[in-house]
Amino acid sequence: MADQILDAKGLSCPLPILRTKKALKDLPTGGTLQVLATDPGAVKDFEAFCRTTGNQLMESKVEDKVYSFLIKRTA
Amino acid sequence: MSTSPLYILLCSGEHEKLQMAAMMASVGAVSERPVEVFVSMNAIFAFARGIEPAVRYHGGAFSRLLTEKRAPDAIALFRQGKELGDLKLWACSMALDVQGWDIDRLEDGLFDGALGLTKFLSDAEGGQFVTL
Repeated sequence: MADQILDAKGLSCPLPILRTKKALKDLPTGGTLQVLATDPGAVKDFEAFCRTTGNQLMESKVEDKVYSFLIKRTA
Repeated sequence: MSTSPLYILLCSGEHEKLQMAAMMASVGAVSERPVEVFVSMNAIFAFARGIEPAVRYHGGAFSRLLTEKRAPDAIALFRQGKELGDLKLWACSMALDVQGWDIDRLEDGLFDGALGLTKFLSDAEGGQFVTL
């Protein structure tokens, strides 16, 4: 269970990433954020975002066209 | 992770290019990449303070789609990039001069000042350069 959930369903690029950045700022280091999105490009976007920002993408999955990303703030 | 800065030379007033510049700038900034945007030529009009979106944004077929589908506003994306990352916007001093504008004619809180092209190009030598 994530510490915080961000519902980014229905938002188009780049809003899911921008909203995630904002949510991560408010998390303590080690905290976890689950992001829900419907943007198909989000899978690769979140991989790249976590890689460049040093945060850990713990899980990436899709169910009924809703993408779910579990991110741990490590940076 | 170390990433070279991104420098965007924004000259076009077309909605589609403004939107792409805003998207690149905001995404770059939140990905912890320093970004600088130099706004000149027709692009400067889009940053005039207090104008309505219908006046600010004009373009082709995709511009109409952006409006119809309520895509994220370009000015708002620039603002979010500044809030969440290292993003600087510079107004071209020549563009302001030929308009007879000072920086206060531009959207509040977006611009870090006026700059000449020489300085911008000099700073951009160490980064990735994109022109829109």
